Amino acid sequence: MNTFLVFLEQREGVVKKASIDLWNRVQELAASNPGAAMSALLAGPADMRQLDGRLFGTGVLYHANEEGFRLYNPQQYAKLVAESLKRAGATTLFFADTALSRDLAPRLSVRLKASLLSGCTVDDAWVDGGGCRRPVYSGSAIASFVAERPLKMYTTTPRASSLSTTTSQASMTVELLEPCFTGEELFPLVRRLAMHKGVQDVAEAKIIVAGGRGMGSAEGFSLLEELAGLLGGCVGASRPVVDEGWRSHAEQIGQTGKTVAPALYLACAISGAPQHLAAIGSAGIVVAINRDPHASIFDVADYGIVGDVHLVLPKLIEELQEFLKKR
Amino acid sequence: MHIAVCLCQVPDTSSVISFVEGALDLSMVNEVMNPFDEYALEEAVRQKERFECSVVTLFSVAPPSAREMLRKALAMGGDRALLLTVTEPLDPFQTALLLSRAITDYYGETLPDLVFCGKHSTDFQSGQVPLMLAELLGMESVSAIIKLEASRESMLVEREIEGGIETLDVHYPALFSVEKGLNVPRKTTIKAVMEARKKPIDLLPLTSSESPYVTITGIKSLVRAKKCRFLPDTKELVRLLSHEHALF
Repeated sequence: MNTFLVFLEQREGVVKKASIDLWNRVQELAASNPGAAMSALLAGPADMRQLDGRLFGTGVLYHANEEGFRLYNPQQYAKLVAESLKRAGATTLFFADTALSRDLAPRLSVRLKASLLSGCTVDDAWVDGGGCRRPVYSGSAIASFVAERPLKMYTTTPRASSLSTTTSQASMTVELLEPCFTGEELFPLVRRLAMHKGVQDVAEAKIIVAGGRGMGSAEGFSLLEELAGLLGGCVGASRPVVDEGWRSHAEQIGQTGKTVAPALYLACAISGAPQHLAAIGSAGIVVAINRDPHASIFDVADYGIVGDVHLVLPKLIEELQEFLKKR
Repeated sequence: MHIAVCLCQVPDTSSVISFVEGALDLSMVNEVMNPFDEYALEEAVRQKERFECSVVTLFSVAPPSAREMLRKALAMGGDRALLLTVTEPLDPFQTALLLSRAITDYYGETLPDLVFCGKHSTDFQSGQVPLMLAELLGMESVSAIIKLEASRESMLVEREIEGGIETLDVHYPALFSVEKGLNVPRKTTIKAVMEARKKPIDLLPLTSSESPYVTITGIKSLVRAKKCRFLPDTKELVRLLSHEHALF
C-alpha cells in the first residue's frame, strides 16, 4: 500500500494556495491508485478554518502548530518532515515547487536516502510507479526520470489553475503533533520575513499579463498594469525586460525566472524564446499579441492577434472596460 | 579564508539542441560555464578581495574537456582548480557525493569557510547538488541568495521567496547557492587570462561508488502542438475569453 504525504506550506499563517492545489491533485492521483492513503503535514501555527471546503477527499492532517515552526528553518523542518514521514508510514512525499521546498527537499533526499524529482507536474508523477517527465535544455527537450529509491520525493509545479469554485465535502482528520520543536537555535536562522504587501506573486496568479522587449520601455508597462488591474491579474516579464531593468526579477517568467501555470496567460510583444516557453508550458489559455506573425509565441498560443501592442492593448483595455461595465 | 566554488558546464543558451533519428545529439553544442556558477564564482572572488589571505579553489565534476571552462574561471579570480573527471553521467546525488569527497580530501580535517554554487544548472535545472553537498558536508546552507553581507564572524543573507524576501543569519562554515542578481560577474582582462595560464588545474579521475537515486530513461524532442487561432480584433478576443472560457 502506498501512503502519500503532502507538505502544506504556510507563510505568516496563510497556507499556500499551491499547497492546497497540490493536495487536491494528489488526492486525484490516490483515487486512481487503489489502496493509496493520504496524509498531510502542516508546519507552523495556522487557523485551520482557512482550509474549510478547500481540501477534497479524506486523509489525516498532521499539524505541528508550535510557534517555532512559524518561520522556515531548514534544520527544524527537515527533522519534522522526517518524523512525520515515519509516523504516516508514507513512501511518497509531495511538495509544491517553491523556494522553501527547493531548499529543504535536497537535504531530506540525502538524509533519508530518497529519490528526489524536482519540478514535475503531478500528472506526470507516478509514471511507472515512480518517475516523471519534465522539460530540460531550456525547454527544447523533454526527459523521463525514474526514481530508484523506495522512498520518493517530488517538488511539483502547478497545473493550470481552474477558476471553477466547485468543492466537494472533505472528511479530514486533524491530528495535532506533540511538541517536537527543539528549543536550540539552529542556523541558518530567518531573522526577518518581509512580504511585498498587496502584490500577488506571479507564480500563484490565475491571470498573467506579461510583456516582452517589444513593450519598448519601463513606461510601456503601464498598459499592462492597467490591463492586469482590470482582470485581477498580475504583471509578468520576459528576461530581456528584466535585464533592461524595466521590471524586477521577481516578475521574470522563464528559465532564470519563474515557472507559471495561470488559467490565462496573455503574452504581449514576447517573441517566445524556448526558455520562456518552457516556463509557461502548464498555462491554460495562452493569448499572444505580436507584430511578427511568425513569432514562436504563436506556436504555443490558443489565440493570436497580429499587431503592434501599443495599438492593440489600448483597444483591448477599452473593450474590457465596456464589457465589465455592462456586466 | 578558504573558499570553494563548484562549477559545471552547460550548453550555451544560443546552442541548438538537436535530435538525430529521435536521439539527443549534443555534438553541435558549445559548452560554457553554467551562468549561475558565474555569479557564484564572482561572489567568491569578492569575498577573497574583502578578506586577506583568502584562497579560492574551484571544483568541477565534468569531462576532461572542461579544462577550458576552468581556465576562464581561473582568469575570473580562482586560484587553483580540481577537475574531477568522470566518464559517465551522474545524477545530482552522485555528483554531490563526489564533490563532498573531493572537498573533504582537499581541505583535510577542517571544512572550507565558504562554499559557493550556482542556484541550478541551466540544462537540467534540478538545483539539488548544492544543498545535497551541504547536507553531506554537514554545513549550514542557504539557497538562491540575492544578497550577502559578510563579516569575519558571521553573515547576513537575503533570498527571494514567493511574494517576499527572507533575511537569514548564517555562521561559518556555510554553503550558498546563488541566484541571478547577487552581483554582476566581471569581465576577464588579458592580464588575468595570462596569469590564469600559470595557475594549476589538477585532474582527478573518479568513479561513483554509489548507485544513482534518479536515472534518466529517455530524452525526446519537445514538440509543442497548439493550433493558434488568429483573431481579427480584440472584440472577438474578449468575447471568447469571457463567454467560451469563462475567464472573467
